[in-house]
Amino acid sequence: MRKGGIALALIGLVVMAMASGCIGGESEKEKVKVAVLFDVGGRGDLSFNDMAYLGAERAKEELGVEVEYMTPKSSEDMVPLLKQLAESKEYDLLVLIGFLWTTPLDQVADQYPDQKFVLIDSTTGKTRENELDILFREQEAAALIGVIASGMAYELGGDTIGAVAGMDIPPLWKFHIGYLFGAKYFEMKTGKPVKMIWQYTGTFGDTQVGYNTGMQLLQQNVKVIYGLAGLTHVGMFDAVIDWNEQGKGQAFAVGQDASQEWYAPKYIPISGSKRVDTAVYDAIKMVVDGNWKGGIMTLGLKENGVGYWDLDGVRQFAEFAKEAGKLKDMTPDDVVNIVKEQREKYIKPEVWEIVKELETKIKNGEIVFKTPQSHDEYEQIINELQKGNLNAALEKGSVS
Amino acid sequence: MLSVDRESILEVLMSLIIAFAVGTVVLVVLGYDPIRVYSILFKYGYGNTDYLLKKSTPLLLTGLAFSVPAIAGVFNIGGESQLYVGAITALLVAHYTGSAIPAVIIGTAAGALLGLTIAALRVYRNINEVITAIMLNWTFFYFIAYLVSAKYANPKVPHESVPVPPGARIGGIFFIAVLTALTYYYVLHFTEIGYKMRVSGVSPQSARYAGFSPEKMVLTSMLLGGAAAGLGGALLVLGATYTIDTTLSAIYGIGFTGIGIGLLGRNNPVGIIFSSLFMSGLIIGGQWVELKTGAPPELADTLIGVIVIALAVPYAYRLLMKKVGQRGSAA
Repeated sequence: MRKGGIALALIGLVVMAMASGCIGGESEKEKVKVAVLFDVGGRGDLSFNDMAYLGAERAKEELGVEVEYMTPKSSEDMVPLLKQLAESKEYDLLVLIGFLWTTPLDQVADQYPDQKFVLIDSTTGKTRENELDILFREQEAAALIGVIASGMAYELGGDTIGAVAGMDIPPLWKFHIGYLFGAKYFEMKTGKPVKMIWQYTGTFGDTQVGYNTGMQLLQQNVKVIYGLAGLTHVGMFDAVIDWNEQGKGQAFAVGQDASQEWYAPKYIPISGSKRVDTAVYDAIKMVVDGNWKGGIMTLGLKENGVGYWDLDGVRQFAEFAKEAGKLKDMTPDDVVNIVKEQREKYIKPEVWEIVKELETKIKNGEIVFKTPQSHDEYEQIINELQKGNLNAALEKGSVS
Repeated sequence: MLSVDRESILEVLMSLIIAFAVGTVVLVVLGYDPIRVYSILFKYGYGNTDYLLKKSTPLLLTGLAFSVPAIAGVFNIGGESQLYVGAITALLVAHYTGSAIPAVIIGTAAGALLGLTIAALRVYRNINEVITAIMLNWTFFYFIAYLVSAKYANPKVPHESVPVPPGARIGGIFFIAVLTALTYYYVLHFTEIGYKMRVSGVSPQSARYAGFSPEKMVLTSMLLGGAAAGLGGALLVLGATYTIDTTLSAIYGIGFTGIGIGLLGRNNPVGIIFSSLFMSGLIIGGQWVELKTGAPPELADTLIGVIVIALAVPYAYRLLMKKVGQRGSAA
């Protein structure tokens, strides 16, 4: 056994030697070259990572850049990979998808001032010339969804909308403010009162909690539920499906981030969007056009960074779902047709009019939403909104 | 059965050849250039020493966590949760005391205690250790996810636990792991308790006949195995990640990979040093294969799977046959 250990040691050495003997070189530099580094788990999530892929592929086609992709095995791998990629000096831009990269980037960015990094949907909280953090103005999408949800609730014979939210954290505060603003805006424009029930679940990963919370809301006569809790709200989708199919009443769900209509096109007529693809594309374009600037950038309606998914988007994600084997008994065409029909039936032209009007105001910069800096400020804004004081949610401009 | 020198070299070499041959076929069938894929896999996998050693450390220790009990005849699939408890207790101790040494000690002890619990349930209550361990893996997974996201979240970075304070961060973790492996090798092969463990593993009846209790050896081996995994978790947090993220991506899966590493190292602590390096290189290199060839990450995983199976199967098969043979002769 002792000899065996030595023998094994020798074999190990041989393997190591073989490995290090394989070192070769390959590098050329003309085109802009970009590496997209996914979140742990990588593609196939039908959300963030797939959207990042879409954006990068679009940049490849339209801007003629070279794109390579990498999926880290765990958060442990992120720092060494970032260092090695930066040291290779092979890539003009490293695109980091998702919040897990925040701390690794913060540890590495200062050591490589010549390497450009872009972090999507998170921020290190520091300003560096070689680092761009792209965030989204979630309030703007949520406001439009608030109007649409209120309109649908009335079509379904009710006056209450709701939301299943993840944790009580700053990005969700923004959604809350926007959504409630939208509901109150609808109320103001139509004179029809709207009630809104907002429910934090404390988790982004528990479908069972999502299901139970969804059921609770439905029992309180909520007609449209906005899903803002990642995997948790997929459980809420199931609750809405069961509610309809068991004949307990009619209700809809609304998705968020990626287009989630494909999950149940009959009951999920629309989703809010968070366009990770746009963020990735824009960052690459900045490098290609030579107008890179480090710091924090926010994307809203105007930049097509947030909004709601149109039918092309719905089709795209239905195709992804089909590829991933998650689209059962339907083709992407079926999904699009059902969604189109449901939207025509339940989102009336007068509601679209209000949506368009609000959208224009936001895009023009006529109104700008507040981003609360503390939990107290957030609560205060919500209280004012509940009283019907819409302008409390606005940083700039006013509505009447 | 203990004379494994020339045979085992031959066996490993044969397995390597078969592994790469099968891998080549897979690559060609899927339309990738095998030479290019292999050269990327090895060049990047073993090119960054610092990364390689850090990645190997917890895997080496969970390898030991599997193999030491295996030598004494226990199947420890709980390296996963033993590593979790090591990681979380080390993190919290470092957080409160600001120093590394108590964190390492308590992390190791936590892993050992969990290992011992599983063994005690088997020895005193006759509960199958595999079932206990699998259930505990998930229990601790969710318990730690809860602790990290609800009780010890970093207020500045809400998706992470409180960080290990700078004063408690350590380097050279791989050498601590190697030292542990060498110590275990010594204990197994040059001490009385090691001899008893090995005898109990080969034949519990002989152990009893020789006048010592194989049950005690089950407890001892699980204590040692759990301690290794706990140490792995502690070193991972103190020397590599400095935090645990709320998705637990930094600590998940290391215990399971450790099983493959233990088998690959022929349940020999010295062999495990090398098998952990070998595996870590493949895992690291796999990420670069995706980057450089555009192949989906599953390709590298498949390749690694093929290699590990080809290398580990002959040994696992012999272990199994031996067990079956034993049952036969006992009956």
